Amino acid sequence: MRTKKMLSIIVMILILSFAYFSYTTALSNFTLSDQNNSYLGGIQFHRAASGLEESFQIAQQENKPIMMYFWAIWCQYCAKFQTDTLGNPQVKKILEEDYVLVAMDLDIDREVAQKYGVSYPPYLVFMDPKGKVLERVPGAVGPEYLLPIVTQVRETVRGK
Amino acid sequence: MIPLGDILLYASLVLSVIALLGLLLKDIKNIEYLNKLVTPAIILIAGILTFAYSLLTYYFVTGDFAYDYVWQYSSSDLPLVYKLSGTWAGQPGTYLLWVWVIYLSAAWLAWTTKHSTALSRRTQMITLFTGIYLLILTLIQTPFKLIIERPEVVEMITKGTLAADFVPLDGNGLNALLVNFWMIVHPPLMFIGYATMTIPFAAAIVYLLTKADGWEELGRQWTRFTWLFLGMGIAVGGVWAYVILGWGGFWAWDPVETASFIPWLTLTGFMHAAALHRKDKSTFSIAAPMLAVVSFVLVLYAAIVVRSGLFNSVHAFGDNSTGTLLIILIAITAIVSIVLGMRRYLEETDKVEEDHGFWNKTNIFYVTLLLFVILAFISFWGISFPAFIQITQGLKVGVASDTKNFFNVWSYPFTIILLLALGFCLNYNEKKKEEQKKTLFIVIGLSIITMFLRTDTFYVLDHNSPFWAREPAIYKMIGNISVVSLFPSMIYATWATAQRLLDYLSIKSIRPKIKGIGIATVHFGTILILFGAVISSNFTQSIEGYSIPLSSKGEVVSLGQGGYAVKIIDFSTRSLAETAPAPGIRISEIYGNPDSYINNNVKVTGKIVDFQNVQTPPSYTTYMKIDDGTGSLWVATQADEPLNIENGMELTMEGFMMTNFRSNSTGKTYDLIIFTSPEAITEAATSGKYNVQSVQLEVYKDNSMIGSGTAEYLDSQSGSGTFPLIDSSITGTDVYVIFQGLSGESVPLTLKIIPAVNFAWLGIVFFAIGIILIMAVRSRPKEG
Repeated sequence: MRTKKMLSIIVMILILSFAYFSYTTALSNFTLSDQNNSYLGGIQFHRAASGLEESFQIAQQENKPIMMYFWAIWCQYCAKFQTDTLGNPQVKKILEEDYVLVAMDLDIDREVAQKYGVSYPPYLVFMDPKGKVLERVPGAVGPEYLLPIVTQVRETVRGK
Repeated sequence: MIPLGDILLYASLVLSVIALLGLLLKDIKNIEYLNKLVTPAIILIAGILTFAYSLLTYYFVTGDFAYDYVWQYSSSDLPLVYKLSGTWAGQPGTYLLWVWVIYLSAAWLAWTTKHSTALSRRTQMITLFTGIYLLILTLIQTPFKLIIERPEVVEMITKGTLAADFVPLDGNGLNALLVNFWMIVHPPLMFIGYATMTIPFAAAIVYLLTKADGWEELGRQWTRFTWLFLGMGIAVGGVWAYVILGWGGFWAWDPVETASFIPWLTLTGFMHAAALHRKDKSTFSIAAPMLAVVSFVLVLYAAIVVRSGLFNSVHAFGDNSTGTLLIILIAITAIVSIVLGMRRYLEETDKVEEDHGFWNKTNIFYVTLLLFVILAFISFWGISFPAFIQITQGLKVGVASDTKNFFNVWSYPFTIILLLALGFCLNYNEKKKEEQKKTLFIVIGLSIITMFLRTDTFYVLDHNSPFWAREPAIYKMIGNISVVSLFPSMIYATWATAQRLLDYLSIKSIRPKIKGIGIATVHFGTILILFGAVISSNFTQSIEGYSIPLSSKGEVVSLGQGGYAVKIIDFSTRSLAETAPAPGIRISEIYGNPDSYINNNVKVTGKIVDFQNVQTPPSYTTYMKIDDGTGSLWVATQADEPLNIENGMELTMEGFMMTNFRSNSTGKTYDLIIFTSPEAITEAATSGKYNVQSVQLEVYKDNSMIGSGTAEYLDSQSGSGTFPLIDSSITGTDVYVIFQGLSGESVPLTLKIIPAVNFAWLGIVFFAIGIILIMAVRSRPKEG
């Protein structure tokens, strides 16, 4: 009995300190907020469904294509996709200069996701300024796959 | 009017309350008269719910879209099997399934025990309480809700744009990700597992309350059953993620898979505790029932996580409005069990026991139980505290730079200790204890030394991942441990299990022999799963995002890396749906027997082959010639403007059939003609909602073929899904090719070579075989 009690107490302390430690570490190291976009490939996106209208206006004024990025906080593949693919210097440059970018949180912007037939992240939808879908990229593709699409969509919109 | 399904649910609710009262009266005041009704009542409820579930299934099969739930998760062009599985595609249906199975187990309990003992009576009371609670949840989110109760439909009916008895022509359709064989089996496995946990839980609560003997025996088979179903449910979820969600992961520490894994861990702990408890009632007299109760609470927690909005994950297929009630149930059960557990603990501390020192079987088993608790807590905490922070502070936090790192880092050391405990316990022998301790210490030593081995990639955390650099110091410290350190304990555990298996095989009597083989099989399964998981996640080779032009069909195209190449054998598209019969009557049938159709309402579907818009002031009349392949027929309709139609359109229309009609505007006489209104004309679905693109491939490495098969991409109105090519080889390695849908004229592919993954699947099969062997040997009830 005494051994078991001792073991229980040790485990209890272990669990509590683990819980406290991971909680504070998460708060200090892994807080995601709108000010730091590091978790979206370090790119500034228009956020959420409320920004959608505005994005279309900007896109029409500047005649730029729209890229809508569907992501989620729990999405394992998104994280890698963001750093490797969206964060790829070549891809990033084109996106930031020539695109209107909108990010949709699948947990919040469910209606938009449903409207565009997106059921899992990561998922990219490319549109012309009028909102016509030009291209869809489901899944965590690599930069060498995305780069030609990003270029091609831009040329299509410019060509019009 | 209340739908029939809801009436059945209300009837079950009333009967349950009567049965519960009967049991209570018997228990408290020893009043018999209601008690006689209890057993038949419970069996009747099980029957009613069976009927209710069959009714729902019937609605799905016949496509009765008057029901909101049927409309949401089905459509008429789905193959039959998906119509069946639609019943559990959303929350209302899974609640019904859950309740149904609870009452089936309650009926079993009633039938086998006839409530003759206080234990069975009280266990039944708690089972009924749980059943009633979930029945209420089912009624709140009833699968029998009519579509005309939907807010937007109600609005349209009051505006007059829809008829009051509106029934949609077709359903919304099933999410493309759910159109998969594994989806058909995954949810029922999970929810049956959730439901069968009720009896062990109820018995454990009764034991905590009354110290009733025999509680463990009453729930024993149910526990094993739950363990099997939950375990297989989780495994099938893994297979599903592997074969469809698409990027080659069978386990991604997604909140929902993790949530269902937690009760499975504590349940495993409970089974270990029960194994010793049943031999000596004083052993784990608190730990065992507490683990059973905790497992049930965690099952409820998993149910919340699965469907709540907070922990959204891959499973966010349905919306939720009963989460709060589930949380209240969790709070009730958690508080009750903690209070009861504390009370028992305070009672038992009076007993003074002999201390045998640390190294005895009970203590090592206790360490094992604690390890299960620790592993369960790590998972629980990892999915819970980010949600907690989000609720309380409105902040989104991650648990690590890369979520899976958190779980892998913290679980790794305890997994090694668990394997060590497995090895020591399975081979435990009181007489050879000193020798065995020596072996154990050697293995521990080897494990520690191998932790420091340096290799290219074989670490707890992937050093090449972009997240590695960003992890905090302690994550890096554990992440730096070489995974080679898993092997000493793994080999030790394998050896011990093999030794134990040999012991069991030498037993003459058949029952313990079979049971022993079962136990050894399950433990082999654990080792295989760990081996498969660790090797496959560390050594997967991946070549991402290659686009191969369709024009290169038949040629071997190099992927540029590692000598891999791909040949496209064929590309094709098809519609998934069975061709549903077009609504209405075949035109040939009308010509065959015109008398029964003339001057009656007739519905036909067909293509427009000819049409004429003529002005017939003040409106326009449109004459359309409709051909359905069996014959053609004229249809006329009047509208304020000419109808916007073209040849080739496929329409379904309903109207009044006349004969020998002479039209002044066209100058023709029509033998047979249907007069219809523009509202009665609808566009018929020309193509299926589920279109599949499939590409047949061969994969080469250094000019020899290593795999072949078909990779598919499914596109539908409600999203898309990928079905990779998976070709397994005898060595356990999978060739895995994802096809992400045709892009222009080229085929985008991702190739993965996944080693050892089939060992994990084999381990899961071992789990199932082992536990079934154990279940097959029912221990004889002890006398007295």
